[in-house]
Amino acid sequence: MTTFYGLPNSGAFWHWPTLIHFLVVALAGGTALLVAVLAFRRDLAARRYALVALILVVLDLLLLWAESSARFRLTHIWLFLGFHPGSAMWWGAWGLTGSAAASALIALGWGPRRFWATLLLMTATITLLYPGLLLAANNARPLWTPLLLAFVPVTSLVIVLGGVLLLRWAWVKPWFLAASLSSVFLGGLYLVGLAVGGFEARQALVHFWEHAGWLFLVGLGLMLSAVALLRRFPALAGLAAFAGAALARTLIVEVGQFQPFGL
Amino acid sequence: MARYAMAIDLAACVGCAACAVACKLENEVPSGEHQLWIRMREEGIFPDLAVLYRPEQCMHCDRPPCVPVCPTGASYRSEDGLVLVDPEKCIACGACVAACPYDARFFHPDGYVGKCTFCRHRIQGGRLPACVETCPTLCRTFGDLDDPDSDVSIALREAERIDILRADRGTKPKLYYLNTPPAFGPHLEEVAS
Amino acid sequence: MKLRRREFLKLSAASVGALALGEQVGASSLPNPLARVPAPWYATGVTQSYSICENCFWKCGITAHVAGGKVFKVEGYQGNPKSRGRLCPRGQGAVAQVYDPDRLKHPLIRVEGTARGEGKYRTASWDEALDYIADHMLDIKDRYGSESMAFFGHCSGDSWFVEYLPGAWGSPNAAKPSVSLCTTPRETASQWTFGRPVGGHEPVDWENTRYIVLIGHHIGEDTHNTQLQDFSLALASGAKLVVVDPRFSTAASKADRWLPIRPGTDTALLLAWLNVLVDEELYDRDYLDRYAVGFDELALHVKKFTPEWAAPITDLPAEAIRIVARELAAHAPEAVIPPGRHTVWYGDDTQRMRAQYLVNALLGNVGRPGGFYIAQPPYLEPYPHPPFVLEPAAGGCGGAEVTTEESNSDFRPAADRGKFFARTTAIQELIPPMITGEPYPIKGLIAYGVNLFHSIPNVPRTKEALRELDLYVAIDVMPMEHVMWADVILPEASYLERHDDLVAIAHKTPFIELRTPAIEPLWDSKPGWWIARELGIRLGLEAYFAWQDIEEYLDRRLTAIGSSLEQAKQVGTLIQKGRPYLEDWEARNRSPFGTPSGKIELYSETFAQNGLDPLPVYTPPEEVPQGYYRLLYGRSPVHTFARTQNNWILMEMHGENAVWVSVAEAERQGLSNGDYVWLENQDGVREGPVQVYATERIRRDCLYLVHGFGHKSSSLAIADGRGASDNALQTRYTLDPISGGAGLRNNFVKLIPGAPRPRHPNLARLARERRI
Ligand SMILES: Nc1nc2c(c(=O)[nH]1)N[C@H]1C(S)=C(S)[C@@H](COP(=O)(O)OP(=O)(O)OC[C@H]3O[C@@H](n4cnc5c(=O)[nH]c(N)nc54)[C@H](O)[C@@H]3O)O[C@H]1N2
Ligand SMILES: Nc1nc2c(c(=O)[nH]1)N[C@H]1C(S)=C(S)[C@@H](COP(=O)(O)OP(=O)(O)OC[C@H]3O[C@@H](n4cnc5c(=O)[nH]c(N)nc54)[C@H](O)[C@@H]3O)O[C@H]1N2
Ligand code: SF4
Ligand code: SF4
Ligand code: SF4
Ligand code: SF4
Ligand code: SF4
Ligand SMILES: [Mo]
Repeated sequence: MTTFYGLPNSGAFWHWPTLIHFLVVALAGGTALLVAVLAFRRDLAARRYALVALILVVLDLLLLWAESSARFRLTHIWLFLGFHPGSAMWWGAWGLTGSAAASALIALGWGPRRFWATLLLMTATITLLYPGLLLAANNARPLWTPLLLAFVPVTSLVIVLGGVLLLRWAWVKPWFLAASLSSVFLGGLYLVGLAVGGFEARQALVHFWEHAGWLFLVGLGLMLSAVALLRRFPALAGLAAFAGAALARTLIVEVGQFQPFGL
Repeated sequence: MARYAMAIDLAACVGCAACAVACKLENEVPSGEHQLWIRMREEGIFPDLAVLYRPEQCMHCDRPPCVPVCPTGASYRSEDGLVLVDPEKCIACGACVAACPYDARFFHPDGYVGKCTFCRHRIQGGRLPACVETCPTLCRTFGDLDDPDSDVSIALREAERIDILRADRGTKPKLYYLNTPPAFGPHLEEVAS
Repeated sequence: MKLRRREFLKLSAASVGALALGEQVGASSLPNPLARVPAPWYATGVTQSYSICENCFWKCGITAHVAGGKVFKVEGYQGNPKSRGRLCPRGQGAVAQVYDPDRLKHPLIRVEGTARGEGKYRTASWDEALDYIADHMLDIKDRYGSESMAFFGHCSGDSWFVEYLPGAWGSPNAAKPSVSLCTTPRETASQWTFGRPVGGHEPVDWENTRYIVLIGHHIGEDTHNTQLQDFSLALASGAKLVVVDPRFSTAASKADRWLPIRPGTDTALLLAWLNVLVDEELYDRDYLDRYAVGFDELALHVKKFTPEWAAPITDLPAEAIRIVARELAAHAPEAVIPPGRHTVWYGDDTQRMRAQYLVNALLGNVGRPGGFYIAQPPYLEPYPHPPFVLEPAAGGCGGAEVTTEESNSDFRPAADRGKFFARTTAIQELIPPMITGEPYPIKGLIAYGVNLFHSIPNVPRTKEALRELDLYVAIDVMPMEHVMWADVILPEASYLERHDDLVAIAHKTPFIELRTPAIEPLWDSKPGWWIARELGIRLGLEAYFAWQDIEEYLDRRLTAIGSSLEQAKQVGTLIQKGRPYLEDWEARNRSPFGTPSGKIELYSETFAQNGLDPLPVYTPPEEVPQGYYRLLYGRSPVHTFARTQNNWILMEMHGENAVWVSVAEAERQGLSNGDYVWLENQDGVREGPVQVYATERIRRDCLYLVHGFGHKSSSLAIADGRGASDNALQTRYTLDPISGGAGLRNNFVKLIPGAPRPRHPNLARLARERRI
């Protein structure tokens, strides 16, 4: 039996505000990507949705700022004054800021639209990728596997496209289908990967299973059901996929924080 | 320039927590948070028993995974090999907390991430870290690895066995555990000094 | 594989704990956009002053570090032979007590018309409170005689209240818990074996020893600072260690051999060792010829106590017993069985301690390197006051004043006299006269820094006694339960806020330590010397308090030995030269052995004359009744008795005690780790709820509790209701007829499953309110 005088800092370090950030950043990054695509397609809606993307990005930045206990020391300024390419968080900060600027310019309709669209494509991609990188970079936490590099952005797309389905945009359907299916596939692969991983990965899986198992399966199930519902009830499919992806990601972020081993 | 390291002789440590209490006061560690804690573990069946007392804290890794993930440069490695946080630069994002394999970091209520500093303010004044100074069993040693006559170098030379935690992580910790009781062997990898 | 899994779950549980404690992430004060991270305390001008730690009675020399008028840290210092620059966890954490908002802040007088124990008080001025006490004391003196006032004390300031005041006032009923509830068996045995006290600082010659046997004596959990340092250094330099303990103590985890003895049978083990030493002629014949008497009687006496005899009694293999005896002899005289400190175990404790000393004597280790050095007190004169009307006889852990004579026939002897041979004043024996009035009534009590409800067995009896008193005064720093029963409560300034009398330590290098205040007293608290003096003047004893303030008093004492207060303030500790070994004494043609024969008395003629066994005998301990376990207890390394459970830092380290149960017994009773149970003793007293710690580290026939938890006082916001009190379950004790010690380990307890998990206020929140 193990006991302590004092305690290791092994509890959860990210709480609900961070979990919400992980969702909002998916929405923001995904929307920004969508806007970039619309802009490339010279879709007139691009300007309107650029405003939405801008609002989401700003919301996320605000959220990031607000959830930080250092918010009143204005230290966030350091994010932009240094060069820290090893830090996913740094990329995220630039990705979000760049997306905000580019979508603002697109929304205003100023200047070289294609150029802004290219810029937004890049910054949105960074915004979509960085949360996965942020998690996967931690070789200390066995539940945050490299697979998340793919799982996180793909589920981000599911979240956004799920929302878009409510707008009845038919052209996103194949994308939605692809994103949902690959999410479910990657989700399954995630579990299998843990199961066939080393000793530590298996222990982590046990931990994950005890704390999130059924809910995670429900998340994947919801995304799968979206595929079935898509033809007849696209709005419902969108909702189900949105909920499923959000749930599955949140569980990985939440439960994956633990280092489930006695040192 | 030095390469500071610490060693704890587990054959001598009695898990009294004097070090942990000293750290709390020296560094004004807030309630509910710990820069240093003692893990106690028992093994065996009556009457063949063994108990391990193992103090844990930041290992001041030579290859600290907590540093590159920091987006602001608040987490850094000093010239002396100390891994430190500049509280004024820290935005309390938690990336470094996530990256540390030793659970060494915590959020300080004043809005930055805290952890053991090897009592930099003391060693700069030529004093020992508070935990080392007070330890009533004298099982802690501290000093410069590059100086063969430093306490820690001598302790490492004389130890019968040296362990580091989670050697597989490749972090190269600079907190060494000496003379771990044999009953607590297999899951710690032995390393050569 | 199985174990890893269990551990992994444990860690998750610990994480939950961490979460509960760590919820406060987020700014705790109002945000200021320009605020930078606050500067650490050491970045602002720090001043230092010398003092003495008060978190236990070991009295380590410390420096207090003050910044901005607050003490942030205390440290040991090299020049002090007690701390040697280091402090134990309790000493480190003691600072938190000073800033505890639960502290006693003003003199309090119990509201007229309320009963003791109701806890209703009104604030009073010092004058009013002291006048009240003096009036009542003088009244008691008129009606019953001055002996009817009892004085209980412990802590550095206790000399004012158990020696100075009672000596001047004229009461022999002055007592300390550190005598009859702690050291008296070992002191009595030492007096009648070696003719010397052991003394407060056990004179074990750790630095030279090569073989150590600890009987009970759980060094490591018992964190007396220097002792732990010395113990660790001895092991580091290769000394072998044997631990005799029914529990796998921390010390046992460092030992080469662990002998899990059946509780209460140590005397049988010691007799067997004596048998082997004699039988195999492993004793130091020359040494005994020169320094001891009574060897032949001893040899004859121990003949029948073979290891084979002891094996079934002690539940230890005869072979193991024999081997340890031989190893002891092989390392003699650099082999030692330290006396231990808390020696009031089963009621036959003086005899056990005698047996323990006889083994040491046969090894020839007394006054020899690697055994016991000969400790001497430093040279220090008392303040020249008029002669006391009655010589103080409270004694202390620094060696009880063992006497068989009355000092002044104008006064009645102490109310506990006649019950036992060594006439030390036994604190627990002064309780019954408060109830029965026999041999004469005790009507008043001043309790200075004594935890009446946690240190003295049979709490219901103590409460009954307090109800009977005409006057009960408590002088303390914390609103402990017993304090909140007093008629008048006087808040003493804490150890960092006051001077105290000089502390003189008998040691290899005898020394004197000084306490100076680091900060002004907080709130309306006053130092003990001031309280004693003001009270003394009101009692008409002003001749004893001819000095104006403590600095004058201290300076006079120090000047008398060629130093001064100024000098002492510069160094903190004044060290003198000692005579630690026999050769130092022989060089001066003197004997350190103050026995009637001037030698080590293996056979005690005095005992024989008083109808006591002149050679140690084994008395079997009381049997454990069916369905019960024997209740054992000891120390937490981070706590001192029952005084530190409101200290947030120490409580964060160890926040509640758990009852140790062997895994086998826990399984039999369907209990697992972390379950809560009630404990019920043989007299039906229930205590708890307390957590179960199911462990292989204890024998099946006993349970173990760390002493000091289980406070029941809403005035102690942190301590209240956390853990269980061993003392509450010790409603009985077995009086040692020789020493007056109260054997506490004949209490039996059963486990009652199904107790609710107690709910406590969040410790982190309470702690935050208490930050320096
Ligand atoms: N941290 C800390 N340290 C302290 C104190 C404190 O409050 N806190 N108090 C100090 C004081 S004043 C004292 S008196 C000492 C007390 O400390 P010690 O003198 O060490 O006390 P013991 O009662 O000898 O030790 C308790 C041990 O005896 C074992 N034991 C119980 N019954 C038996 C038995 O029948 N036979 C044997 N062989 N062992 C048995 C218990 O399992 C336990 O391990 O500690 C001192 N040090
Ligand atoms: N059940 C049980 N009883 C025991 C023991 C045991 O292990 N179990 N151990 C025994 C032993 S070995 C001993 S030595 C005794 C110890 O017995 P005590 O000395 O009575 O034990 P503490 O609990 O430390 O109580 C000290 C009291 O002093 C107060 N105090 C602290 N600092 C100061 C101060 O600066 N000034 C004043 N005026 N008061 C202060 C505290 O608030 C507390 O009320 O207990 C004995 N009794
Ligand atoms: S102070 Fe020393 S002996 Fe005590 S727990 Fe810390 S390292 Fe171990
Ligand atoms: S122990 Fe953790 S915090 Fe310390 S240097 Fe290593 S990774 Fe960083
Ligand atoms: S919490 Fe502070 S130190 Fe850690 S990564 Fe973020 S900014 Fe850097
Ligand atoms: S070196 Fe200093 S900061 Fe680090 S654990 Fe020790 S006392 Fe704490
Ligand atoms: S042993 Fe610890 S608590 Fe006792 S006086 Fe020394 S430092 Fe203070
Ligand atoms: Mo004691």
